[in-house]
Amino acid sequence: MSSRLVLVSGKGGVGKSAVAAAYALAARRRGERVLAIDMLDGGGLGAHLGEPDLAFQPRPIGEGLEASTIDRAEALIEYLRVQVGIPALATIGPAARAFDTLASTAPAIREVVTIGKVLWEVKRGVWDLVVADAAPTGQIGSYLRAARTVRELVASGRILDQVEWMEQILSDPDRTRLVLVTLPEELPVVETEETIAWVEAEQLVGSLSVVANRVLPPLDAEVPGRDGPVAEAAALHQSLWEEQQQWLGHLPVELALPYLFGTHTPAEVAERLADVLEESS
Amino acid sequence: MTRALVVTGAGGVGKTTISAALAVTAARSGLRTLVLTVDPAQRLSTALGIAIGNEPEPHPEEEGLWVAMLDATASWQEVVRRHTDPEVAERLIGNEFFEAATSHFPASQSFAAAEQAATYIDARAWDLVVIDTPPAAGGIDFFTAPAKMADLVGGRLLRWLTGARLPGRRFLFDRTAKPVLRLADQVLGSNLLERIAEFFMDLRTTYDGVAKRGRQIERHMKRATTVVVTTSDPAPMREAVRFFHALPEVASRPAAVFFNRSLPESWIDAKPPRGTDAALATNLIRWGVEAQKQRSARRELGERYRVAIVTVPWQRRPPTDLDSLAELIESADGLPRLW
Repeated sequence: MSSRLVLVSGKGGVGKSAVAAAYALAARRRGERVLAIDMLDGGGLGAHLGEPDLAFQPRPIGEGLEASTIDRAEALIEYLRVQVGIPALATIGPAARAFDTLASTAPAIREVVTIGKVLWEVKRGVWDLVVADAAPTGQIGSYLRAARTVRELVASGRILDQVEWMEQILSDPDRTRLVLVTLPEELPVVETEETIAWVEAEQLVGSLSVVANRVLPPLDAEVPGRDGPVAEAAALHQSLWEEQQQWLGHLPVELALPYLFGTHTPAEVAERLADVLEESS
Repeated sequence: MTRALVVTGAGGVGKTTISAALAVTAARSGLRTLVLTVDPAQRLSTALGIAIGNEPEPHPEEEGLWVAMLDATASWQEVVRRHTDPEVAERLIGNEFFEAATSHFPASQSFAAAEQAATYIDARAWDLVVIDTPPAAGGIDFFTAPAKMADLVGGRLLRWLTGARLPGRRFLFDRTAKPVLRLADQVLGSNLLERIAEFFMDLRTTYDGVAKRGRQIERHMKRATTVVVTTSDPAPMREAVRFFHALPEVASRPAAVFFNRSLPESWIDAKPPRGTDAALATNLIRWGVEAQKQRSARRELGERYRVAIVTVPWQRRPPTDLDSLAELIESADGLPRLW
C-alpha cells in the first residue's frame, strides 16, 4: 500500500499544530487510517488531538487514528537498528546518548533522523495518511534539505544508502504535500512567500499548498455612521477584514480557515477546522 | 546611568511594535532613548522613519530617539571574529560545517542580540535602551543564551569525544577507547567525524572570550527591567506564563504584562438596540464573546502572578508613523512606571 504524507509548517504562532490535527481528523472521518506525528517533542499537536502526552510509540486516539511524537534519542536508536542495520544498540545505551550529542551538533544528522522517522512511517505503508506537525518555516528548510546535505557531506558510510529513498518519497508529487499555514498579516505572509520561493527553487517536495488561518468573515453590512458598540465593532471588523483581504491577495491561498471567536479548547479548535476541511474537499 | 528595558513575548503578538511605541514615548518624555528592533515589518520600519541599519542612527524627525536593528544573520560570524584569532576565525567561517552547525543553534541569534545590546548599554550614550527580543522560546532564550553559547563552544561534543581533559589532536580519534566512535564510523564514514571534530576544536578557541563576555552580558540583563507582551490567545499566553515559571536566574521578574489587541470591555454584555441590522448585531455579539475571553485571560494572569496588566487597545490599522506609535501607549490602560 502506498501512504501519503502531509507535512504542515508555518511561522510560529499561526496555528500550525491545530491545522495539522485538523488534517488528521478530517482524514479519519473519511475512513482513512491515519498517523499524526509531532516532529517537535513537546509541541502542540497532542493537545489538539485531545491526548497531550504523546510518546514515541504511536498510541491510538479513537478509531483509525494514532499519534506519536519524536523523541530524538529513541528515534536515533530505531533509525540505527531498523534502517542502518546496527543491532543490539540497547547494550550500548550510553553510546547512543553520546551519539545523540554528536547528532545534535553535526549538521543535518539530527534532521535526517527526525524526518527519517516520518518518512519511514510513510515507507512502511501501514497508514493511508501520515500527517506531520513539522518544524516552523524558519527551520523547515534544514529538514527538507537534510537528506541532500548528508549526501553532500558524507563520502561513505551506511547513512548514504538511506537518504536516497527519503529524497524520493519527499519529492513525489503523488505522495508528499507541504502545507504552509499562514495568517493574513504582513510578517507571516512575507515569510510564506519566501518559503514558497525557496521550496520551488530547491524542488525538494512533491507539492505545496497554502492554507490561511483565522480569516475573518465579511461583515455583510454597511458600517453605521453613529456611535456605540454596534458601530465600533463594525468599524473594527471592517478594517481588520480589509487588511486581511489585502494580505491574502499576495498568496495562492488554497483554503481559508475561519477565525474562531471566543474560548475553545485546543481539541475543539481542531474539530472545528476539520469540519471546514471536510466541507472543502 | 543607562537603563535597559527588555521586551519579551511570543512571536506575532506585536512585540516589536510595542518596543518601538515605548521608545517613542520615552523619547518624548525627554529621555535619550535607543530602540533595538528585531525583524521589523516593512510598515514599522517606515513608521520608524529610516532604513534601519546595524548601527544606532538618530531619528531624523524625533529628537532623542535612536534606532538600530539587531542583525541575526551576521551574528555568528561576528561572535567568531570577535573572540578568536583572525586566522582561526576565517578558517571557521569558511568551514563546510559552519553554516549548518550554527544555523541549528537559535541561542546564537539571541547571544548576538544580547551582546550588541550590552555594548550599547556600556556606551553610556543613552538614558534608556529598549530591547526587542528574538522570538525564540518567548524571549527566555535572550537571557539564557550566554550560558548556552559558552556550553556549545566549550565543546560539549569535544569533551564527549575526548573525555574531560582536552588533549592534542592526535588523541582525538582513539577508536579503541570509544566504541561509539566505531559505531559513528560505520554510519557516517570516519572522515566526516574527524572533520567535525576539527571544526569544534577550532570553535573552542572562542571559549574564553565568549564565556567572559557572557558573564558581563548576564550582569547587564539581570539589572534590566523586563516586560512581557502577549495576546489572550492560548499559545502566546502559554509563552507568557512560561516566563514566570521558568524565569531564568539572569532575568528580573517582569514589571508588566502587555495585552496587545485588546477589545473594549463595554462590548462584553452590550445588547444591540432593537432594530439593529442582523449582520451588525451578530458582529457585536461575536466580538463581545472575544472581549470576554480577553478579560478572563487578563484577570487570570494578573491574579495568579500579581503582576501589572497593561491593556493596549486593538487599533483599526497598524501604526504607520511616530504619532500613531505614541498613541498606542497613550491609549493603554494600567501602564506602570517603567523608567
